[in-house]
Amino acid sequence: MVSLATLALLVSWSPAVSSGVQEAPIRDAASLIVSPSKIVIEGSNRRQQILVTALTATDRRFDVTHLAEFEFINTDVARIDDAIVFGIVDGDTELLVRHSGLTARVSVEVSDISQYPPVNFQNDVIPLLSKLGCNSGGCHGKQSGQNGFKLSVFGFDARSDYDSLVREGRGRRVFPGDPARSLLLLKATGLKPHGGGQRTAPDSQEIELLNAWIEQGMPWGEEEAPRLENIQVEPTDRVLDMQSQQQIVVTAVYSDGSHRDVTSATTYTSNSDVVANVDAGGRVQTGTAPGEAAITVNYMGAVGAVRVIVPRSSMADQFFDPTVNNQIDALVWAKLKKLGVAPSELADDATYLRRVFLHAIGTLPSPDEVLTFLSDRSVDKRQGIVEAVLQREEYSEYWGLKFSDILMVNEKKLGARGAYEFDSWLRDQFRTNRPYDEWVRELITATGNSGKYGPVNFYRAMRTPEDLTKSISQAFLGIRMDCAQCHHHPFEKWGQADFYGMTGFFGGVQRKSLNSGRELIYYGSYSPAMMPLTGDVVETRPPGGIAPENLEAGDPRVHLAQWMTSSENPYFARLIVNRIWKHFLGRGLIEPEDDFRSTNPATNEPLLDFLADQLIRKEYDLKAVMRIIMNSRVYQLSSKPNDTNFEDEQNYSHFLVERIPAEVLLDSVSQVTSSPERFAGMPHGTRAIQLWDNRMPSYFLDTFGRSERLSACECGKSGEPTMAQALHLMNAPEIDDKISDPNGRVAGLVAAGLTQDEIVRELCLASLSRLPNEKEIQVASELFAQATPEQAAGDFLWSLLNSYDFLFVR
Amino acid sequence: MSSNYCDGVDRRQFLKVGAVGGLSMAEVLRLQKACANGAEQKDLNCIFMFIVGGMPQQDMWDLKPDAPSGIRGDFDPIDTAVSGIQIGDVLPQISKVTDKFAILRSLTHGDSDHGRGIHTMMTGQKAGVGDFNGRTNNNQHPCIGSMVAKLGRPGGLPPYISVPNFQASGGPSFLGPSYGPFVIDADPAAPEFAVRDITLPASVTVDQSQRRRAALRELNRFERRVEEVSGQVKALDGFYEKAYKLMTSQKAKEAFDIDRESEATRERYGMTSIGQCSLLARRLVEAGCRFVSIENGHWDTHRRNTWSLRELLCPSFDQAIPVLLNDLEDRGLLESTLVVVTTEFGRTPRINDLAGRDHWPNAFSILMAGGGVRGGQVIGATDKHAAEVTDRPITPQDMTATILNTMGIDHKTIVHTPLGRPIHLVDDGRPVHELFG
Repeated sequence: MVSLATLALLVSWSPAVSSGVQEAPIRDAASLIVSPSKIVIEGSNRRQQILVTALTATDRRFDVTHLAEFEFINTDVARIDDAIVFGIVDGDTELLVRHSGLTARVSVEVSDISQYPPVNFQNDVIPLLSKLGCNSGGCHGKQSGQNGFKLSVFGFDARSDYDSLVREGRGRRVFPGDPARSLLLLKATGLKPHGGGQRTAPDSQEIELLNAWIEQGMPWGEEEAPRLENIQVEPTDRVLDMQSQQQIVVTAVYSDGSHRDVTSATTYTSNSDVVANVDAGGRVQTGTAPGEAAITVNYMGAVGAVRVIVPRSSMADQFFDPTVNNQIDALVWAKLKKLGVAPSELADDATYLRRVFLHAIGTLPSPDEVLTFLSDRSVDKRQGIVEAVLQREEYSEYWGLKFSDILMVNEKKLGARGAYEFDSWLRDQFRTNRPYDEWVRELITATGNSGKYGPVNFYRAMRTPEDLTKSISQAFLGIRMDCAQCHHHPFEKWGQADFYGMTGFFGGVQRKSLNSGRELIYYGSYSPAMMPLTGDVVETRPPGGIAPENLEAGDPRVHLAQWMTSSENPYFARLIVNRIWKHFLGRGLIEPEDDFRSTNPATNEPLLDFLADQLIRKEYDLKAVMRIIMNSRVYQLSSKPNDTNFEDEQNYSHFLVERIPAEVLLDSVSQVTSSPERFAGMPHGTRAIQLWDNRMPSYFLDTFGRSERLSACECGKSGEPTMAQALHLMNAPEIDDKISDPNGRVAGLVAAGLTQDEIVRELCLASLSRLPNEKEIQVASELFAQATPEQAAGDFLWSLLNSYDFLFVR
Repeated sequence: MSSNYCDGVDRRQFLKVGAVGGLSMAEVLRLQKACANGAEQKDLNCIFMFIVGGMPQQDMWDLKPDAPSGIRGDFDPIDTAVSGIQIGDVLPQISKVTDKFAILRSLTHGDSDHGRGIHTMMTGQKAGVGDFNGRTNNNQHPCIGSMVAKLGRPGGLPPYISVPNFQASGGPSFLGPSYGPFVIDADPAAPEFAVRDITLPASVTVDQSQRRRAALRELNRFERRVEEVSGQVKALDGFYEKAYKLMTSQKAKEAFDIDRESEATRERYGMTSIGQCSLLARRLVEAGCRFVSIENGHWDTHRRNTWSLRELLCPSFDQAIPVLLNDLEDRGLLESTLVVVTTEFGRTPRINDLAGRDHWPNAFSILMAGGGVRGGQVIGATDKHAAEVTDRPITPQDMTATILNTMGIDHKTIVHTPLGRPIHLVDDGRPVHELFG
């Protein structure tokens, strides 16, 4: 995602932009394509958005919809306004479309023009209320409504919305005797004071539709009326120039097979306005920043996406190094080529070593490990170190901690024993490198005593079928079901049937109190969920999946676990590889890493597919995926950007610098100073990444943002800097005590009689995992000139611990 | 990484919201106006004093002398500086300054659990499912101090300071740790009081510290774009700068140093937690902190209510409040400093078998002073037992909206939850305009 801040940088640095606004290059069109190929207008309110695409001789497509000229053979039958065709009288004609000397012809059929077709409340009125924002969460869709008028949020409960409009408000909201005097119309057009302001013009087609609905006597509409099945979006992918346009056309497909143009009734959202924004009519406008944008298209809960790529104008071929270590590189390079962005150079050995240690095992390499690696002359030493690190004991500590964060191992909720058992169990899964699908199945179907069997504690942290549904779908599938508990997800296909369908798997989970705060978790008898509004029993099924049979026999969670971890499941493998990718590369292919939606596509779908496929092929061996990532050239790129990639944050053209997480940072400070942290009640030498209790008192861990473990995500953990962090690192007596620990590193180096150069070298190796550079040698010599060796060494170490080279993975 | 359009309103999200259709043109204009107003914000401060445990309305602010003795309690109403306003005789000093504050007698919400009540009163949002009685950050919604930290005008000190402790529900929630409180984590009434990490460790001399910092500046000198491209590095760099300023600005550092006050002044506030916290709060707003949150505990008088109030709780409270208000006024700070004395709920009308009062969220009283609030008035009323609100109910949402608006922050500003859901800072709250008339 390119932000305004980077846009500002772009403006000041890039000669291509500072020379002024760029014009879209003139291209020679070889042919014109008009969509749709045949225009049918049935009814006075129907319209058809036209899409005119020019094709160059090299098969490049660009939109000329709003540049083309239009002419009807018979101008009495139809008219066109802003590339939208309207009927005038019943009849046939032809539309001529002209652009750069080319002409295309499209037939036009107009019928039933004299009458406004019967309005259907659900099909016609509800989408309009959504489009105008009436039923959004900030307005009448709020739980309490707004000024006495309440609608269901995003129109999930059409029946009650119908009652609100037609039956409540003492008949003033709609007034069939004189539709124009209906409050609905007067408020929406701002003719009567409206807290939400004017939503649409009095002569708009929205008002025309509402007017017709009221005139027709506010029909609910026929129950058998065709239902919306899905929407077709055109185009779905486009490479666009800067400062160019692209019209989107959205067609609704109904259960009877009929089609209708709904371009103007659809809502559009861009995830990156700097790259491309979109207006209410579905017209995309690119800016002066290269990059990508996903345009979310939403019509009545049916969603689609248009992906837009805006390449840099100056191609980066000359920088391009086509070398690949594995398929990751091929897929990332392909994307970068499309964007006209060149990758950075490879990072040096020391930087790479530090990255691998911190990412894979949450541990800094020791000075000896650094020196050994630097002096290793073998060509495959980087592969070698990846293998070695993945075998280290710290691997299970660090990844166990990560999953304790995600799965909310929280002493406050689980009690000490439960938290300890759950945490230990998670670490065991990583210690034995157990296949991921296997241990997740065990977790989902867990039953037993919480004081003896770790995974059941998940069913204690999450105590209701609703919470379990939300947590499990987010933690293991990347599906955020929270919205769908109360209403249709605004950007996704999930509705209440999906939500309560999934809760049905957990309805039978029972908890029995045992002594000393423990609980027995077991499965009682099957108990499907009920829809909150209607009380109807909801069919138990996984979200988007089909209902398993024989749910009454045995524990239905087994079916859910099977469905979740099946290699056919489109979410399971993709989520975990996206998590791992983010862990190593600093940014998920999908962001947030656990928010999988068709409207939130990966920045590199083929890469996500590839990684998921690798995981499945390697039988859910997580280390196998980590190995291939760490061995890729992409992971080894320097964080130093080049002229083409400095604004790229999402395509992995350079390494993203990231602060070391709280626990690892505390361990690193202890390791660098050789002064272990003491944790209450834990054996001496216990590391922060080994703590099972996230409430262990520690000002350092609180200040640097350890996970709160309140929800099933890594979002409670924060690398966000604060002033308290800076103050703590600079002034805390605890840090000072570590630096001046008589048994610590500084004291040891001085006592061993090392020279100034040797001390500086050792301290840089310990903290920065590399030999000192000239700047550090210079800075150190100034310190050593002004104080005793011991004090100067302490001062130098203090500066290193506060330096960005130490605090960040680079 | 994102960029602010104006204080706190992210332009990208702002446009996104507009495009989703959640916002009307009028709202967009209003937001833009709010932004424009932000540029003219005055340096307004808030001292937010939270009486933890539940402040008994019948004994202090809303006496019911005609109620039966099992309800009336042991305190008598006394006349005050403002004719017609009576308060409990356990507050003789405060009775002399009723012209400086407004009593809001009609606060009401439905939560009789401490943690949940605190969440509601600290954030202006009802607590959802969960445990709210821990001392860690359990916010489901940003607290008022964090909202001010995000949207208020920056000053010479951290914008939101919490004393003496991190207060339950005093966290930033999804606004992020940058907007959390700077926690003093020590009681200024303690003889060895010092603020963590703002001064050098004892073993480090000033000269040494200057050498260290010179060395660090050199090591951190940005090289070739790497750091400039990383939002995190830039942000931390910004905080290092602020931390340096705090450590090196004599004025800022002195603000935390309560020993700089004369013994007489300290005694005047009272050598008690609430007295010294009040004095420290005055020093902090004076030096440019926007929002000081003070916590004062042990008011949960389920037993021996009368004795607790008379012997333990009210004397120090009664001493500190008038001195704080007078001191702010003498220094010309009262006009620009809103003082709120609030609590999570009131206490039951009926005195229980242990001579105590229990939790009562249906009707209770809080105080507001300064920041343009017209003193010497009572807003709202309760029934004959101070049990239910009979006039002008005021919700925690209303109180939050009032505080924000007084500080020049539009309480309808839209922020985004982690799920991307756009919500108002305060939902359904209306500022209590009578306060300012």
